[in-house]
Amino acid sequence: MTLHRRGSNSSHWRNMPIRRKLLLIMMMTTGAALVLSGVGIVASDSILFRGYLERDITALARIIGDNCTGALAFDDPHAAGETLATLKARAHVEAACIYRTNGAQLASYLRPQHAGLCPATLSPDAYTASAADSFRMTAYDLTITHPVILKGTPLGSLIVIYDYDELRQRIQLYSATVFAVLLAASFVAFLLASGLRAVIVNPLTTLVNTAGTVSATRDYTVRAPKATNDELGVLVDAFNEMLSGIQSRDADLRRALDERSAALLDAENARDSLATTLASIGDAVISTGEDGRVVLVNPAAQGLLRRPENQLIGKPFDDVFQTIDEHTRDPLSSPVDRVLREGAPKGAGTQALLVTRDGTEIPIDESCAPLRDSQGHVHGAVLVFRDVTSRRRADETSRLLAAIVQSSDDAIIGHTLDGVITSWNQGAQRIFGHTAQEMIGKPSSVLAPKGQDEMPGVLARIRAGERIDQYLAAGCTRDNRAIDISVTVSPLYDAIGRIIGASRIARDVTEQVRATERLAALNADLKRSNERLARSNEDLERFAFVASHDFQEPLRMITIYSQMLIRSYPGTANAKAEMCVENIVSGTQRIRELLADLLAYTEAGADTEASHHSVDLNVVLEKAKQNLAMPIAETGANITSDVLPTFHGYEGHFIPLFQNLIGNALKYRSSATPEIRIHVRHAGNELMFSVADNGIGISPEFHDKIFVAFKRLHGKQIPGTGIGLAICKRVVERYGGRIWVESQEGQGATFVFTLPRVLEITSDTEGTINGTNLHEPSSHSGD
Amino acid sequence: MEPTFTSPVRILVIEDNAADVELLRMALEDAQLPADISVLQDGGAALAVFHEAPNLSPAPDLIVLDLNLPKYDGLELLEAARSSARFGSTPIAILSSSSSPREQTRIGAFGRVMYITKPPELDAYLAIGVKLRDFLLETWRCAASGK
Repeated sequence: MTLHRRGSNSSHWRNMPIRRKLLLIMMMTTGAALVLSGVGIVASDSILFRGYLERDITALARIIGDNCTGALAFDDPHAAGETLATLKARAHVEAACIYRTNGAQLASYLRPQHAGLCPATLSPDAYTASAADSFRMTAYDLTITHPVILKGTPLGSLIVIYDYDELRQRIQLYSATVFAVLLAASFVAFLLASGLRAVIVNPLTTLVNTAGTVSATRDYTVRAPKATNDELGVLVDAFNEMLSGIQSRDADLRRALDERSAALLDAENARDSLATTLASIGDAVISTGEDGRVVLVNPAAQGLLRRPENQLIGKPFDDVFQTIDEHTRDPLSSPVDRVLREGAPKGAGTQALLVTRDGTEIPIDESCAPLRDSQGHVHGAVLVFRDVTSRRRADETSRLLAAIVQSSDDAIIGHTLDGVITSWNQGAQRIFGHTAQEMIGKPSSVLAPKGQDEMPGVLARIRAGERIDQYLAAGCTRDNRAIDISVTVSPLYDAIGRIIGASRIARDVTEQVRATERLAALNADLKRSNERLARSNEDLERFAFVASHDFQEPLRMITIYSQMLIRSYPGTANAKAEMCVENIVSGTQRIRELLADLLAYTEAGADTEASHHSVDLNVVLEKAKQNLAMPIAETGANITSDVLPTFHGYEGHFIPLFQNLIGNALKYRSSATPEIRIHVRHAGNELMFSVADNGIGISPEFHDKIFVAFKRLHGKQIPGTGIGLAICKRVVERYGGRIWVESQEGQGATFVFTLPRVLEITSDTEGTINGTNLHEPSSHSGD
Repeated sequence: MEPTFTSPVRILVIEDNAADVELLRMALEDAQLPADISVLQDGGAALAVFHEAPNLSPAPDLIVLDLNLPKYDGLELLEAARSSARFGSTPIAILSSSSSPREQTRIGAFGRVMYITKPPELDAYLAIGVKLRDFLLETWRCAASGK
């Protein structure tokens, strides 16, 4: 505790600012001087005063003793007492006693409250011993023993006891005075010191502040101001000198530091960029130390070796990197060993396969180089390798493409954008006759007849990024033969997508072009003759139509007015005239029939909106039978039919079809009663109708002829115009069907015609065209 | 009971063939139908009449129209007559030299029209008179009963 306090005190002292220290020192110096001088004064005064007091009391004791000589001599206590009582005037005399020589007390004087101070008797020793004055001092009083002697004879002794109060009071007075002086002097000293210390302290403070600034800011350009030429001035100078020294050294240091940190930064950047480069390059990099152990392996290498970094670092290189020859499959020697041994770089190895941990074989390119320190000493090796699988594949692809190009039958010709030929395949040689050596470097115009080279124009479009699709062009072979070529031109791009040329694929189409031209000419001829035919058909139809209409009129007139001739003038005409009129009438009748059939034939081919109508063939059959009611009744024919379908078509076409077929069956009947059977059945995409009779039949040699208009097999004994079957054929073919006859002479005939099923209108509810319904005959007896 | 006609029936015959007009007269006579016949010989003249103002003269009781006419054919004239106020409801008998079903269908679309094929026989031709008379009577009866 004490120690601490002392320590604390001493540190307090040490930490105290100098100006206060100075003040304190001056104050303490002053105080100490004052205190010492005060104490000296008091001490010397008290000593002096005590001596004065002893002398004074001795004198007093001598006076009192002298005054008491008589009393003693006469042993008069009263007188003695009176004498002693004079001592009352002295305040500080506590007691006085007079003793006889035997020691007995003669008289005494005691100040109040001081009884008992004088002994009742005085010891003889004390008496004897006091031949002279003796003093005895205590802390409180002074006792003087004065022998009373009369003429050399001791009469007794006087004891006076004097207290020190006076002395004490004096000391107190002095002390107070000294203290007051001390205070005043201290105050004055404080004022003086305060004023004077600035002389010392201020320059010091300035210096200290300067030093503080410098140490805080490290600004060594600051200088302390110099105020005096004394030791402080010297100190300031020394300080400033020191500062300038520090300043220059600091500048040097900073420069050196800057240089060093710049160098460090460079080194760090270099290291970082190296690390980044290694991490980001596609090539795999492994470096080894002198001992051939792996020290660095970049991510690409880790990937190719199929191992993480921690399984590679520190491993012997040969353990992690094994290659075999692609063809012989022999292990290849380690490139790192050789480089470390020989100290020379090893170039790219060829046909090496890297065998990874999982057994994968990767074709690689590798190169290895020694690492040398600044003295040229080899301290490691670096191996750079890369996966060349995709390059191999690209090589194979390009070889394949080249083979395709070479073996193509088409000419594949490369051009620069200026038209200069850069490649020439065998197809080109076959078509144009030139060899590659002859053509590479030549302009495209060589391949075209003079003035007909289209390539400059085409290349201008290619330059604009267009692809030119197939077009026909004129070519010229080595032996100056003109050929037709079909050409496609595509732009060729370089690696960054710029158009650098064009690839022209040409095919010799001379034969096709000629064939096409021939075909076109034929087509044109055909079209012309078709048009002629259509025109003449049209003319014919118009003629037939007009004839059938307009010829009716005059014929009618001929008939009617011939008849009127006989009727109007009966009796005047003879039988011969009547016969003439009959012949006129039957002749015109025949012409009218021909014209009516011609009209029917024409109308069977005329354009009508046939598909807009629906025709129920059952109704058609009924109408045809009605039209033939008379011959049916005459012959007693029996007609049966399946249920017939409904078609898209025009009724006016189908009635003549059925009417002619049934009519023929009636007309060309045998001796038996006509039996006519109408059937219909599905046959692929068609409906096949058959009209079978038991008539006279037709010899197969006439099977085709009977469908030709106005061709007849029979004479006038069987009436007819010979156009009925032609109308049937026209109607059936108009709807996309066919008609033919199956017959032998004398065995009846079966007329068969087909109609496409697309024209059939199927009824969902009735299903009349179901096979069963179609083949179920429903009898229509000809009544 | 043969109906009798108190006054001649006014008939407009549009026919270019005079021989046919003559036959028609005979047929009407045979049918004992007194007729006041006026004849137009070509389609142009007929069309002019059909386009005449309605108040010029009263419409005939019957029009007999040949289909095959110069300039305009019978069908065009039929349409013109039916679209005019004056001849809109006049009975019209179409006489045609050939029986074309297509023509008959088109003609049937108009009302108060009879289609007659000119017969190639004298007797059949003369029977037309009776057909015309019956057609006229039927038309009048329908008009009278408000149909």
